[in-house]
Amino acid sequence: MSKLNAFLGIDVGSISTKAVILDEGNAILAQEYIWTEGNPIGAVKKLLGLLEKQFDPESWQIVGVGATGSARRLVGSIVGATVVKNEITAHAVGTTTFHPDVRTILEIGGQDSKIILVENGIAVDYAMNTLCAAGTGAFLSSQARRLGIEVEEMGQYALRSTHPTMIAARCTVFAESDLVHKIQMGHPREDIIAGVCRAVASNYINNVGKGKKICSPVVFQGGVSKNVGVVRAFEDLLGCPVIVDDNGHLMGATGAAILARRSLKRTQFDFSVENMEFVTRERNCGGCSNNCEVICVYRNGRLIDFWGNRCERGAARTDETPHP
Amino acid sequence: MNESRMPAIGIPRAMLYYRYGALWEQFLQALGVSFQLSPPSSRGILETGTRLAPDESCLSLKMFMGHVDTLVGRCERILIPRYSNYGYTELFCTRYEGLYDQARNIFRSSGQRFITCNIDAQNGSPEAKAFELFGVELGFSARQSRRAWQEASKALKQKQKAEEQSQKELAAKPGMKVLIAGHSYILSDPYLGMPILDCLVSSGAVTLRADALESETARKACAKFSPTCRWIVSEEIVGGVLHWKEKADGIILVSAFPCGPDSMTNELLIRRLKGMPILPLVLDTQSGMAGVETRIESFLDIIRFQRGDMV
Repeated sequence: MSKLNAFLGIDVGSISTKAVILDEGNAILAQEYIWTEGNPIGAVKKLLGLLEKQFDPESWQIVGVGATGSARRLVGSIVGATVVKNEITAHAVGTTTFHPDVRTILEIGGQDSKIILVENGIAVDYAMNTLCAAGTGAFLSSQARRLGIEVEEMGQYALRSTHPTMIAARCTVFAESDLVHKIQMGHPREDIIAGVCRAVASNYINNVGKGKKICSPVVFQGGVSKNVGVVRAFEDLLGCPVIVDDNGHLMGATGAAILARRSLKRTQFDFSVENMEFVTRERNCGGCSNNCEVICVYRNGRLIDFWGNRCERGAARTDETPHP
Repeated sequence: MNESRMPAIGIPRAMLYYRYGALWEQFLQALGVSFQLSPPSSRGILETGTRLAPDESCLSLKMFMGHVDTLVGRCERILIPRYSNYGYTELFCTRYEGLYDQARNIFRSSGQRFITCNIDAQNGSPEAKAFELFGVELGFSARQSRRAWQEASKALKQKQKAEEQSQKELAAKPGMKVLIAGHSYILSDPYLGMPILDCLVSSGAVTLRADALESETARKACAKFSPTCRWIVSEEIVGGVLHWKEKADGIILVSAFPCGPDSMTNELLIRRLKGMPILPLVLDTQSGMAGVETRIESFLDIIRFQRGDMV
């Protein structure tokens, strides 16, 4: 009996790495979620190992692989992805597949935040934070550390508050000094935590969501959507219910898998990638005063891909070795 | 190096060079004055400029000072025209107004000589007069200088008209079109803006530029849209956007951090042009293109979704 087609989607973000395997009808065959821990290659290898255990190679064959997230290029070349897509498109495709009536997608991740507006199941507009990481997961983590609690507990603390403290949310650095001041003034911890959650939501609406018409139904995803304090703050500020999907963290990976299915490119994916040795090397081209930072990726000592060069002079040669 | 072998004039290939350079070059050529351009922008030039320029100044000014640095000691005089105004309501951004004095001050200990062409109609020096005085300072008669300026301004107008014409042909092409708006010295800069244009072209988009339009036409279009737009170059950009927007599927507004005029005009355009995908892109000294690429890629996807040619 011939095997059925399956599609792998991998989403490597700054903080977490996610993957799903879908069948032709978008049913999830396998899924996994782990921390990137500053090592995207290691995370992907580990992730594939975990997926392989959930996967039945007797009845399924992975024929398409999609990569997304900030490390999509790197991971795409390692796993031999058939589609490499930016995370905004991947999220839009993933979310509209599971919530066809969605109008607004809010997404707050570890380093960036975005808003996607949808009309009739089609993404029509989006905005992304500027290169500053204010009001993202990284901000919540550092504030949690300052308050001596786990970032996962923040939501529960926030829900116990009846009087969220006002925290200036314009900029992370200002927010932090405001927060320290409020702690020293004796504001209760619950109120401060609720204030931080509120600050994240209002900062988002005033920056990323500025000038955008936020219509219901609203779907909220990304790591920060797991914080019920922020969800509550969004509901208060927007005056409408905010949907958080249980699989919200997988939407990027799901979108990547769906895009791999829609694309006509096919491959025969093999889990053996997890046992190969991958090395990356950065070298400065030095061919001109642009001095491009060229990234070279090696599989078992052989160059498989490179990027970062602005012109041909910076192109890596296939006979270059990972250890000069 | 023998000083007489050096070109008489050095021109920094930055800032208003990209808008008015044709005028300056043609003027010097008509008078038979030798000149040399600084090399095309690169990371090295920007790094030097960042070290030299005041740290709060805009990216373009930093780049400009880097270009001036490459000319120091390589030409007799560095030309930095001072664009202040064409009249009481026709103003240029104060950055261009201060460039000459700022550069002279930054390079005061280098022994390098500078020369300006002071366009300041409010103080009795409109463009024609400014170039006349500039020519006289270079050792030519007032009459020769006036004639050279007339030739030069004709050349500039022709160049803008030619750009407009070739863009008209581009706009008639089929396929997804993106209008890219910003200062010419950002868009045409090989280090700052060109990678963005290359990225658009390699993604299969036809790229239209708001600055490919004759100045007068652009400023007239802008006056109808906003009678109080303050700076001439902003008027040209806004007018260019209005002129070309019907031909485009989306608009990318490129600006360098922290550009005061752009912060006003980009906000104006985003608020007023509803129903069209607009992507504001702010460039700073970051060397990675990753953030920019992600934004452009997803912006093009949004346009493809709307056009219905998304897989």
